[in-house]
Amino acid sequence: MRLKFLAYALIPLATAAIVVAQDKSVWDGIYTDDQANRGKQLYSDACASCHGPELTGGEMAPPLVGGDFTSDWNGLTVGDLFERMRISMPQNAPGSLTGAQNADILAFVLQANKFPSGQTELAKDAMMLKGIKFETKKPGH
Amino acid sequence: MRKTFKRAVPVLVVAAIGVAAWTVKTTSQARPMPSNRNGDWPYYTADIHGTKYSSLDQVNQNNFKNLEVAWRFKTDNLGTRPEYKLEGTPLAINGVLYTTAGTRRSVIALDGKTGELIWSHSYREGNRAAIAPRQLSGRGVAYWTDGKGDERVLYVTTGYRLVALNAKNGSMVNAFGEGGVVDLKKGAVFGKGQQIDLETGEIGLHSTPLVVKDVVIVGSSFKEGMTVKTHNNTKGLVRAYDVKTGKLLWTFNTIPRPGEFGNDSWENESWAINGNTGVWTQMTADEEAGLVYLPVEDPTSDFYGGHRPGNNLFGDSLVCVDVKTGQRKWHYQIVHHPIWDYDLSSAPILLDVTVDGKPMKAVALPSKEAFLYVFNRITGQPIWPIEEKPVPQSDVPMEKTSPTQPFPTKPPAYARQAVTVDELINFTPELNAQAKELVSKYRLGPMFLPGVVSKAEGPIAALTIGTTGGGTNWPGAGADPDTGIVYAQAANAGVAPIGLVEPPPGFSDIKYVAGTAGQPFVEREGPGFGSAADSPLRGGAVQRAAEAERAAGRGAATPAPAAAAGGRGAAPQGGGGGLTVQGLPLLKPPYGVLNAIDVNKGELKWQVPHGDTPDAVRNSPALRGLNIPKTGQQGSVGLLVTKTLVVLGDPQVTTTPEHPRGAMLRAYNKDTGAEVGAVFMPAPQSGSPMTYKGQDGRQYIVVAVSGGAYSGEFISFAIPGGGERPTTQQ
Repeated sequence: MRLKFLAYALIPLATAAIVVAQDKSVWDGIYTDDQANRGKQLYSDACASCHGPELTGGEMAPPLVGGDFTSDWNGLTVGDLFERMRISMPQNAPGSLTGAQNADILAFVLQANKFPSGQTELAKDAMMLKGIKFETKKPGH
Repeated sequence: MRKTFKRAVPVLVVAAIGVAAWTVKTTSQARPMPSNRNGDWPYYTADIHGTKYSSLDQVNQNNFKNLEVAWRFKTDNLGTRPEYKLEGTPLAINGVLYTTAGTRRSVIALDGKTGELIWSHSYREGNRAAIAPRQLSGRGVAYWTDGKGDERVLYVTTGYRLVALNAKNGSMVNAFGEGGVVDLKKGAVFGKGQQIDLETGEIGLHSTPLVVKDVVIVGSSFKEGMTVKTHNNTKGLVRAYDVKTGKLLWTFNTIPRPGEFGNDSWENESWAINGNTGVWTQMTADEEAGLVYLPVEDPTSDFYGGHRPGNNLFGDSLVCVDVKTGQRKWHYQIVHHPIWDYDLSSAPILLDVTVDGKPMKAVALPSKEAFLYVFNRITGQPIWPIEEKPVPQSDVPMEKTSPTQPFPTKPPAYARQAVTVDELINFTPELNAQAKELVSKYRLGPMFLPGVVSKAEGPIAALTIGTTGGGTNWPGAGADPDTGIVYAQAANAGVAPIGLVEPPPGFSDIKYVAGTAGQPFVEREGPGFGSAADSPLRGGAVQRAAEAERAAGRGAATPAPAAAAGGRGAAPQGGGGGLTVQGLPLLKPPYGVLNAIDVNKGELKWQVPHGDTPDAVRNSPALRGLNIPKTGQQGSVGLLVTKTLVVLGDPQVTTTPEHPRGAMLRAYNKDTGAEVGAVFMPAPQSGSPMTYKGQDGRQYIVVAVSGGAYSGEFISFAIPGGGERPTTQQ
């Protein structure tokens, strides 16, 4: 009887945990400042030559900051962006960066777009990142 | 009597056998030649005239919006990794599709009714493909048949080989070249005629070969010309081969050699130390007249011509040659001494029109310049006068610009040709003022404003439009051959700064390359460069080491950081490197347009914005409360034309109240330009659409989509439940 009650009590908790994970977005502090700093160096080495030192892009590659960039990914997930990077970037050596390096660079890009940092690092796995929504508008705004 | 009868019988018998044999032959082998008037799409451009026209009309103004996805084909595994730049337009012959696909540039045959893969072919080329100047899957294939059962698919590999395949099963045709292959690098030269290295020599192609009766003709392409390693690059050329044997029939040198017409347009013997000047886009032909039309690109170095004084024929020229001999019949140079990346970018369209009451065999050339240049295609005479007018002169050291450039008097320009203060964003006075402040550090001017040496204090660059991205770029335009109307999409907001810097020591022998004062130097190599299936994986540390080598001035064996979109790739995204105003495009709308141009009259019939207003504009806080009419989208997309429709998709994705995140494939009324229907695509159109009749009698429309998070896919649309049903019963 008590066990049954316990089980019933636990179900909402379990459900709540899943719901929280699925509701995560780029506004929830999904990378750390340290990670973004590592990403900044990697970006400079591997990405800046096409996407620009200030991420503004140019004739060679699209920008990675601002309205053009965020509206291109709005409605997709962080995992989608991660996968695109992992598979096809940098263009002259696609797939040459590790998952961890891609995650660090992505953290830097998120920081450059003024999404907030937090206590946990961005995971280096696309499947996990697919649970995080990329949304240009802060929820509630 | 008896005698006659006896003689008659054998004749009758022979005749009877003859008829039976002919019937069998018809049904099993001989078939009418494929035609876009018959539900096929046998050329990249639908027909050999470049029209992109199909006479199919099962899909029409009333039912276009009811199109549903019939099937989809992803190209992810045709290579070592997925591609995000699928640009091909498949051919359709008798309900079977043929196209290139994937990072390997494989060739595939698909069942046009179901999208099922019938066969696939791929050619492993190793390093030759890994370093090729034109990578990824390219624009497609060409088709040839003898009408008696021999059917072939021809294409140019990443590593620049011409391959002939059996269309029924994809096997290489042994009788063609060597085991099905003609090595196109053989015969490609630089300097005064030195053969290029077969592995590392720079030459390649994205476009399809052109089949004219029993001749197959191939162009040539190179890396982007903005930051060249040497002005003495490989020389462009156009060659024709016997389609059955692969035997070389003729070569047309686009850079004339000593003794050839036009050689003196390269002063100081500069023909010998320059290259490029290829034909990288689609050619067309007049089979009856036996003429082929070659749209030629820039000579080496798109923005600086100090090492090649003179007009540089046949750079940026439309050249007409004899299909049998390759002899030049006429030419017209569109840009003298080219320094704007104004490559002739798409198929010249052949039309029979009526001008001032007289029939005229015309060729109409769409362009990055946003002029439609129209000539008598037999004589080369402009149909309406083209006037040489004075243009701004360059102040770059050792640059000698042409004092005049050609300006057609008719038809009028069909997109922007210059960046001036009047073209700046003006949704609000504040945005306009910010734009003026931004451009105050750049040089503005009329069409043919030359590039400037970049100075940090200004001018940072010359602001141009239509140069790098167009206007009309590689996807080209189309036409209705029965009415003589050309339909041309044009990018209208792609600001292209042209600034020059001296290259880093040891990088190049050319005096100036594209760059910005105060910014790190970036080498621009080519769309998709480094992403081919054979391109090597390199670890971060290896890459940094290679970059350190490059910085020290030693030419690296491994490719430098690559450029994505460039002159021959996608048009620049709005603004180009920070040239935006609060995240909005620098120029006022429309950002992209669709035009109808009447070639009989030399008039613009209609012009409408094409594409949803971009999200960044629609959702901009700076524009809150304003009612902004549909702006269209910056970008280059191709189209198809049918009896009643012009069909083309959006070059960008948007999320609107009408549709979730995606791009729309749209149909327009040919007479008015009114949009009559649109269907959803999950990604931008990246290859030009085509249409054909499937073996079930249904009309299908197929288009390549890719970009952003979406890897390459061919999507096929059809009217649900449609079959052999005349449109009058709708």
